[in-house]
Formats: sequence, C-alpha cells, structure tokens
Amino acid sequence: MKLQYVSLWLLGAVLVLCSVHTRGLRRCLISVDMHHIEESFQEIKRAIQAKDTFQNVTILSTSETLQSIKPLDACCVTKNLLAFYVDRVFKDHQELNPQILRKISSIANSFLYMQKTLRRCQEQRRCHCRQEATNATRIVHDNYDQ
Amino acid sequence: TQTFTMVLKEIWTSLIMWFFYALIPCLLTGGVAILPAPQNLSVHSTNMKHLLMWSPVIMPGETVYYSVEYQGEYESLYTSHIWIPSSWCSLTEGPKCDVTDDITATVPYNLRVRATLGSQTSGWSTLTHPFNRNSTILTPPGMELTKDGFHLVIELEDLGPQFEFLVAYWRREPGAKEHVKTVSSGGIPLHLVTMEPGAAYCVKAQTFVKAIGRRSAFSQAECVEVEGEVLPLALALFAFVGFMLILVAVPLSIWKMGQLLRYSCCPVVVLPDTLKVTNSPQKLMSCRKEEVDACAMTAVLSSEGLFRTWIR
Repeated sequence: MKLQYVSLWLLGAVLVLCSVHTRGLRRCLISVDMHHIEESFQEIKRAIQAKDTFQNVTILSTSETLQSIKPLDACCVTKNLLAFYVDRVFKDHQELNPQILRKISSIANSFLYMQKTLRRCQEQRRCHCRQEATNATRIVHDNYDQ
Repeated sequence: TQTFTMVLKEIWTSLIMWFFYALIPCLLTGGVAILPAPQNLSVHSTNMKHLLMWSPVIMPGETVYYSVEYQGEYESLYTSHIWIPSSWCSLTEGPKCDVTDDITATVPYNLRVRATLGSQTSGWSTLTHPFNRNSTILTPPGMELTKDGFHLVIELEDLGPQFEFLVAYWRREPGAKEHVKTVSSGGIPLHLVTMEPGAAYCVKAQTFVKAIGRRSAFSQAECVEVEGEVLPLALALFAFVGFMLILVAVPLSIWKMGQLLRYSCCPVVVLPDTLKVTNSPQKLMSCRKEEVDACAMTAVLSSEGLFRTWIR
C-alpha cells in the first residue's frame, strides 16, 4: 500500500513538473495529449486512495526538490524521471484490476513515447543535462528506494 | 533367450507403431472439433478511429464470439506476458472491434483475437505488424459556410477532442493576403470575418492532431460573395419611378371611375344635332302648313285609291 502511495505521489509530481516547467522543454517539443494522461492519473488515484490505509504518509522532500528545478534543467529531469518510471515504478506495481491496468498501461505507454522523443532531443543536443538536474534525479531515486 | 528377447522387442515395436497409426486419425479429426483461430487481422484507421478487422470463423448454425486483447510497446518490452482485454470487445459478435479507446499512446501496439463457441476457444491470432496510431489516415474536414448579413460564419465537422483545425481565408482578388485562424474544436458555429460589400471570400481548412503531430491535407476552397451597394441603388431607382407612376395613375383612375359612375346612375341626355332647332319658330310654322296640305291631299287620295282597288 505504501509503495502504491509513493508511486502515486511521484506520478503527481511528474505531472506538476510537466505542466509548470514547459519553458525548459520549448527547445525540445513533444506532442502529447496531457489531458488524457491527467484523466487516467485521476482515475487511478481515486481507485487506489480509496483502498489506502496509510493516509498520513507524504513524500514532502520530493516535491520540494522538484519545485526548485530551473527551467533549463526541466528537459533533463523530465527525461530521467520518465526513464525512472518506465524502468522501475511501473514494473514494481502489480495490478490485477483490469480497469486500473488499462489506465496504467495508457500512462506507461505515453511515458515511453515521451521518453523516446526526449532521447532524440538529447542526441540532437537539445536536452542538456547539468549537474543540478542529475542531483535532483538522484534525490528522487533515493527517496523511492527508502 | 536372445531370439526370444528379439522377438519380444519386435512385437513391442510393432505394437507401438500400431498404436500410433491408430492415434493419427484421432489426432487429425479429433474427437471434439477444434475451433480455428480468426485469420487476416488488419487495422483500418481513419481520423484517429481505429478498427480491428478479421475474417469471421464460420460455424454453420452457431454464433461465434470473439475476444480481443492488446499490448502496448511498454508491455511488450517490460511485461511481455501481460495482455490487456479490450475495453469493448470481450465476447463480441462482429468480425470487427473498435479499439480507439485502447490505443491511447503513440507507440506500436500488438493486437490479438480468438474465437469462442460455447466451451471451445480457439488459439490466439496476432496482428502481423504492430499498429501505431500515427499511421492513421487524416482526411480534410467537412465545413459549412453561412452568411449572417456581412458576417462569415464557419462550422467545422466535429472529429473529437484530439482534433484542432487550421482555417485559412482570403479575399478573391489578385495579391490578396491569406489569413489563418486556429479553431480548437468542431461542431460549433464560429465567426470568421466581417466581409466588405461587393467582395468575394474563399475559405479552406485542415485538421491537426496534437497527439501524433500530423496535419491533414487542406479541404477544397469554398467561396462566398457579398452583394455590393450598386444593386440596392438600382432597386431604389425602380422603386421611385414606380411610386411616381402610382402617384399619377391613382388620381386618374379615381376620376375615370367617378365619370363612369355618373354615367351609369345619372346619365345626361344630349339632343342629337339633327333634332336641334337652328331656325326661328315662324319659319317652321309656315313650312309646316304647306307640308300639312300636301300631306292631307296625299292622304285622301291614297285612302280612296286603296278603297277602289280593294273593292275590285
């Protein structure tokens, strides 16, 4: 349950990042239906939080880290977070409910598409990774591992 | 003993062979009929509506049901054993399935179908080439142009929330500048431009799908014309002339009607010229006397003559 809650908050954090730090991503444009991803996320949140027993657990440090990211680092941090979600978070969560499974699949595949686009940007040197961006990503990884 | 062992071996081998020979027909025909898997899977996608189709499994007198499952690129890379049942097609009848609600990301998707008849289920038949929704066919949008006075109003076809429209319009004259307007959704009438009288305007539109970053071709240009001020002027002139004619004709006809009425109810008797008395009364009197004598003689003679002729 705690793992689910963590995943949910991290996912929410990513969406906040995407919607707020768009300036940093301007040099690397992604055509994505964010509205659909947000909708899927809200459905998952409703279904999982209804069953959540640890309601007073929050990962405040993660959200602070994300809010302090500069627009210049947004592309790199987003790319790293997407890879983190696709490679680790979604795999760790085993879902049996077909309805939620569909929504998670939708988000996971959308993240995969965004990740591929950002990788292309990085190859064209339009998504530069500074030390600050790498540090921020590492903090998120460490929090998750805990 | 060796011969005995060899004979036993031979018998055993023969038995095994016979057993397999007997089994082969059973394997081929089966005690229970095997349901074949659907064939020829294909996806037809137009304007972000994706339809999976296949050749139906024909079982005379029976209704075969089909189940569809899908797997995005994420699942095929990280959890390849997981297939997700389609939102609308678990045990569906038709040899087709609308997978629009399942294909929600711009990545290759694997799709598979199997047939079910009662307790029998066929094997899975998988799409040969994974389907990516960025290969959808985008058609130019339908549009309706209407004039509201001098306002040009456009209504574009409603293609769903994933579609945006780009509308281009220009005045139909050499060297005219093309204006462009972005419309976020179809199905709603929208004011495009206030037209100048006497000018013709042409409009064309294309769709844009943000999720796949692709545009359709432009639709055929449609043109509308606005009447200039010249025509109303001619109409005004005609109206004035007509009014003047009426102004003259109405009193004339009233006067004529009046005359007719007077004639029909109270006609004036006029003496004809021949009866008019032009000479003095004395002359008339003397003239008359002579005439009377002549007339009287003639009158007497004639009556006697007549009498005589009658007696004869």
